[in-house]
Amino acid sequence: MKLEVLDREYMYPGHVACPGCGAAIAMRFLLKTLGEKVIMVLPACCWSVIAGPYPQSTLKIPVIHSAFETGGAVATGVRAALDIQGDTETMVVTWAGDGGTFDIGFQALSGAVERNENFIYVCYDNEAYMNTGVQRSSSTPYGAWTTTTPGREWKKMRKKNIVEALVAHRIPYAATANIAFPEDLVTKVKKARDTKGSRFLHIFATCPTGWRIPSEMSVRIARMAVQTNIFPLYEVEDGVRYTINYKPKEFPVKEYFHLQGRFQHLTDEDLDHIQDMVNEDWQLLLRKAGERTP
Amino acid sequence: MEKRNDTAKTSLLILPRTFTSTEANKTGSWRYLRPRYEEKTSPCSNACPAGEDIARIEMLAEEGLFKEAWETILRENPFPAICGRVCFHPCEGRCNRKEFDEAVAIHQIERFLADTARKNDSKPVIVGRNEKRPEKIAIAGAGPAGLAAAYFLTRLGYGCEIFEAREEAGGILRWGIPPYRLPLDVLQAEIARIQDLGIPIRTGTPLGPSFLSEARGKYAAVFLGCGHSRPRGLGIPGEDLEGVEEGLPFLASIRRGDMPKISGPVAVVGGGNSAVDVARSVARLGGESWILYRRRREDMPAFETEILQALEEGVKIRELLAPVRLERKNGRFVFTLQPMRVDGKDVDGRGRIVPDGDVETMEFAKVFKAIGEEAGEDWYRPPAEDRDVLRLSNCTVSMKPGLPVLVYGGDLAASLKSVVHAVASAKEGAIALDILFREGRENLSGGLLKCRVGEGPSLSMEIHLGGPRGRRSSHIVSYSEINADYFQMAPRITQPRLLPEERLKGFDEIDLRISANLAIREAGRCFNCGLCNQCDNCFLFCPDMSIHRGEGGTDRWIDYDYCKGCGLCAAECPRNAMVLEEEKGS
Ligand SMILES: Cc1cc2nc3c(=O)[nH]c(=O)nc-3n(C[C@H](O)[C@H](O)[C@H](O)COP(=O)(O)OP(=O)(O)OC[C@H]3O[C@@H](n4cnc5c(N)ncnc54)[C@H](O)[C@@H]3O)c2cc1C
Ligand SMILES: Cc1ncc(C[n+]2csc(CCOP(=O)(O)OP(=O)(O)O)c2C)c(N)n1
Ligand code: SF4
Ligand SMILES: [Mg+2]
Repeated sequence: MKLEVLDREYMYPGHVACPGCGAAIAMRFLLKTLGEKVIMVLPACCWSVIAGPYPQSTLKIPVIHSAFETGGAVATGVRAALDIQGDTETMVVTWAGDGGTFDIGFQALSGAVERNENFIYVCYDNEAYMNTGVQRSSSTPYGAWTTTTPGREWKKMRKKNIVEALVAHRIPYAATANIAFPEDLVTKVKKARDTKGSRFLHIFATCPTGWRIPSEMSVRIARMAVQTNIFPLYEVEDGVRYTINYKPKEFPVKEYFHLQGRFQHLTDEDLDHIQDMVNEDWQLLLRKAGERTP
Repeated sequence: MEKRNDTAKTSLLILPRTFTSTEANKTGSWRYLRPRYEEKTSPCSNACPAGEDIARIEMLAEEGLFKEAWETILRENPFPAICGRVCFHPCEGRCNRKEFDEAVAIHQIERFLADTARKNDSKPVIVGRNEKRPEKIAIAGAGPAGLAAAYFLTRLGYGCEIFEAREEAGGILRWGIPPYRLPLDVLQAEIARIQDLGIPIRTGTPLGPSFLSEARGKYAAVFLGCGHSRPRGLGIPGEDLEGVEEGLPFLASIRRGDMPKISGPVAVVGGGNSAVDVARSVARLGGESWILYRRRREDMPAFETEILQALEEGVKIRELLAPVRLERKNGRFVFTLQPMRVDGKDVDGRGRIVPDGDVETMEFAKVFKAIGEEAGEDWYRPPAEDRDVLRLSNCTVSMKPGLPVLVYGGDLAASLKSVVHAVASAKEGAIALDILFREGRENLSGGLLKCRVGEGPSLSMEIHLGGPRGRRSSHIVSYSEINADYFQMAPRITQPRLLPEERLKGFDEIDLRISANLAIREAGRCFNCGLCNQCDNCFLFCPDMSIHRGEGGTDRWIDYDYCKGCGLCAAECPRNAMVLEEEKGS
């Protein structure tokens, strides 16, 4: 695989992400695509820790650690400050977890996007509050075990569709991406870089620790999420123009679920039900992309 | 060196700012699994009796490096244009891609590379030893075994001289296999490349049994590659009637250019490649071919594709019919035949046959016997194993005192009678002699073990000569070790071929050339099992920036100071060129 990215690394080794962390891979791809003219806003999340304990930093770009719920607001402020300085070159990027995006940071994000603030918001999605010990978020998928959905109380609600929520804001650019598809991810980062106004990237980032999988399976699981249609790769321009970037092999979802400790309790009927939900979501997406008539 | 924010003194705003990197944390100490680069052995290269480095050949071919790919074949096999055509390609039977969609068409790419090199008049550059050795070696027979032995021994630095009984070199390739499978110019070009190495081929010079003792002093060794030429009779009354012919001389007359007219029904007795080639030649000359075989069709030793093509060309096969008696009546041959049936199994695993009912008769205008040959002279046969006689996988080495070292190769000693086994026997013999002369007899077995491809028995000359291939592990990559997610289904190319009616018009080659585009596409289907093709997956997916690349991105190494041993590099390697091992502790 040859990626059209910078040779330089913008991360130092020695960070403390778990072995096989998908979020670390995602950050590496992002920065190798964007380069150093970036100020990053980092609300509380695993990445707050990965970025390094004071006085260390694992990133070669300036980072502002912010409160959990303020990713959208702090980015707005940083952008305004740069604009006042006449610096239009430096990009502002918020890098937040799913908890900081789907849940507590949602109002700040929604406000910023409604104002069409000129920044990129990246949510690396590991489908729970991992930093604090695997609590469920509104991004946690149906069927998952977390420490707040333990035993028979596994999560019975569907994962919130965050891209659709942002599309409802008519955001200039929103896209899903996945660490197992680096070429697609890099293309989307470039597209986000070259778009004005608010841009949103939803990056699927495996968490071996929270998902109860061996670290070396991290990329494989991410790939399967796409190939089973659980996490389709698509993008939406101006809140209306949908493009599906990859037509998967449509493997049965079972294979994806069987490999992960967090889904071990699910029965065949549960998995059939999940398959139906996945099919339904996929059909809906096809219709939005104009690939099926309603 | 602390760079505190000066503003802290003058205002209330206190901003802690980082001033060092995380490099001080040696996260390598977390590791309990250790990844490592390790190229491995592809199943095809292990299955190839000549041990060709197929996974690398396909990688080079895919990149359009046709000459390099051809030279890579030549390191292990001097006859790519021949083997690309007539080899029964056991490599493809073991191809991992078979479990994904279809095996890679390895032989077609081999032929393409050889034909392309010839078209471009390429001169191969083969790296590796060639320093002169004092020992001279005589070679009896210029069939594939003798020619290949001379080729390998010359590369190892030994002066060689080939003695050939007949008027031209090539053995069965020249006088047996018909031109529709192996055109004469193709054979001649391969032999010319051997002569270009300065190897004299003394044609019309049959060696006699006394040569072995006379050779002492002049030659340190004699390689015997005299092949099989004495027909095995049918042992039935009437088999010597005038007009009952042996298959091999008939094929030789065709290769000499005589095209006897044949008409009417013709019996061809036998089930091997000779029988099929005789039957197909008869069909081309106007006869109606009947192959009579005493066992079942599936027991025929001829290659399956040859049988299928013969059927397409109108050859009829009657199985389970054993010859009993031949008589001449009114200018025709009356063949009495005993129907057979299968009853249990023979020692060799084929069905045991026993007579089944009454005999029948068939009438023919002509009869060919093609049930196989054996060594032409008793002294060609390898001696029985003893203290001084070593039976190797495909050749026998005799180190009896008072004689030069004798190596019996090719059909005389190989495990299977085929061209590529003749090449394998020549390589094995050449390496054995080299070890014997340079390191002594006590190192022979160990030395041969070192150059095995995987678990053997195929051997690699490149490994023997200390080339980089020797650094690969002998582990043979299985399909489950390939990361199939990185490959797309793609059908295997079909061989363009003359139509049966076109074939019957003459002896033109029936398999046609493939284009460079097709060859590249087909080579691109290869998984390159066990080899690194610098796809960079290991580098890209490392979450810990612990994989480094050298100038030009060719070299890779792992920084164990930081590698946490997550294993992603090894898991995402499409072709199993890495391993993950338990950390042994510091
Ligand atoms: C009709 C036919 C079709 C075949 N088709 C195929 C095929 O498609 N694919 C395949 O892989 N294999 C095929 N084979 C088998 C293959 O041809 C042989 O296994 C191979 O040629 C053996 O090589 P060799 O060098 O040992 O012997 P040969 O090819 O028989 O060569 C022996 C040489 O030694 C010479 N010689 C003999 N005695 C002396 C002496 N005293 N002094 C000097 N020279 C001597 C002979 O004249 C001859 O040139 C076929 C065989 C036959 C008969
Ligand atoms: C207001 C507030 N509530 C709670 C926390 C504690 N906290 C820190 S990170 C975190 C979870 C973050 O989850 P997510 O955004 O999904 O990122 P992840 O750790 O999974 O990468 C929580 C609950 C906090 N820092 N601030
Ligand atoms: S895929 Fe290529 S390297 Fe692997 S077995 Fe087949 S031909 Fe050999
Ligand atoms: Mg999370």
